[in-house]
Amino acid sequence: MHVRKRVRTVIQVVGADRGAIVGKSPDDLQLVVKGSPPSAPLSNFVEVIGIADSEKSIQAEIWTNFGEVFDTHSYNQLCQLANGEYQHLFL
Amino acid sequence: MFSSSQFDATSAFSGGGFMPSQSTQLTDSTPSPAKSRNSLGVVPVTVKQISQASQSGDEKSSFVINGVDVTNVTVVGMVFDKAEKSTDVSFLIDDGTGRIGCRRWVTENFDKLEMEAVQDGMYVRVIGHLRVFQDVKQLVAFSVRPVTNFDEITFHFIDCIHSHLQNPKLQGGTSTHPHMVESSMNTPVRNGQTITSNLMSKQFDVDGLRDCDQLVLDRLQQSSSIGQEKGMHMDELCQQLKLPMEKIKESIRSLEDEGLIYSTIDEFHYKAT
Repeated sequence: MHVRKRVRTVIQVVGADRGAIVGKSPDDLQLVVKGSPPSAPLSNFVEVIGIADSEKSIQAEIWTNFGEVFDTHSYNQLCQLANGEYQHLFL
Repeated sequence: MFSSSQFDATSAFSGGGFMPSQSTQLTDSTPSPAKSRNSLGVVPVTVKQISQASQSGDEKSSFVINGVDVTNVTVVGMVFDKAEKSTDVSFLIDDGTGRIGCRRWVTENFDKLEMEAVQDGMYVRVIGHLRVFQDVKQLVAFSVRPVTNFDEITFHFIDCIHSHLQNPKLQGGTSTHPHMVESSMNTPVRNGQTITSNLMSKQFDVDGLRDCDQLVLDRLQQSSSIGQEKGMHMDELCQQLKLPMEKIKESIRSLEDEGLIYSTIDEFHYKAT
């Protein structure tokens, strides 16, 4: 749905695989994040901004540590509102 | 209403032990909800909303966002291109919906210290006035605070949606709900600046359609213009607009009542008039 578009999301880091970071999206799906993470260690939750190169992966340009605790449920609902009924405030 | 001559602390609060230091304390009413409608305080907005704001046309250099006069806003986003000068610090804020230039005048040590803590790539909450300078909108910030709990980002955007929904235009101009959320949660200048906006006497659009109704109507008008005789099925609207079915049904009901759409081959297909 968002392939080849600029996207942003917050993932919960699950692990690493062949140089890419594997994470869980706010709606509980697996996402692979490629690119160069910052030199500082990643926290549990990381915001990634980049281009979606498939339904399940992002080529990240900006990585921001969001700490050890984050309300993914609220964030997920916000994403739905921002892409749906209230998209005119965001997009 | 109590006045100093009538008030008797002992009888009114027997056993309570409460003795106001000034009897005039009780003659002041608590901040009236009606008053806070006209003094919006700080309005949470996205940069996209700012970019679509028009100037209110009078001398006060305030802006109109969704039909409401706005001067003080709060934005949460990432800092870019911070540049320090002797009198001010300028930077860009990118909140994912757009970028806007900000300027913080540095006149006191407090301002300097606050801005030293702000770095490129950091998420901050900015509170400031909206201004236009050489046709470009910018924020003159009076508070720039780094975000430490990232749920604040989610909260801010939800707050923008909430504030948008509180808009009297969307409520048909008859709302009696005070702006309690904005004034109690956002602003450090709650008792400071008040904005005298003419909310009550505002000219509202005759067409007070909710956002959702507008989306459904636009889509149905599009489908008519490409010659879809029988209109669109509710399921198609649901899929294409990415809205929940109850919202689609509500919108269809109110649009039908307004006479803007009608059902065609069955109760699930609708077309714009």
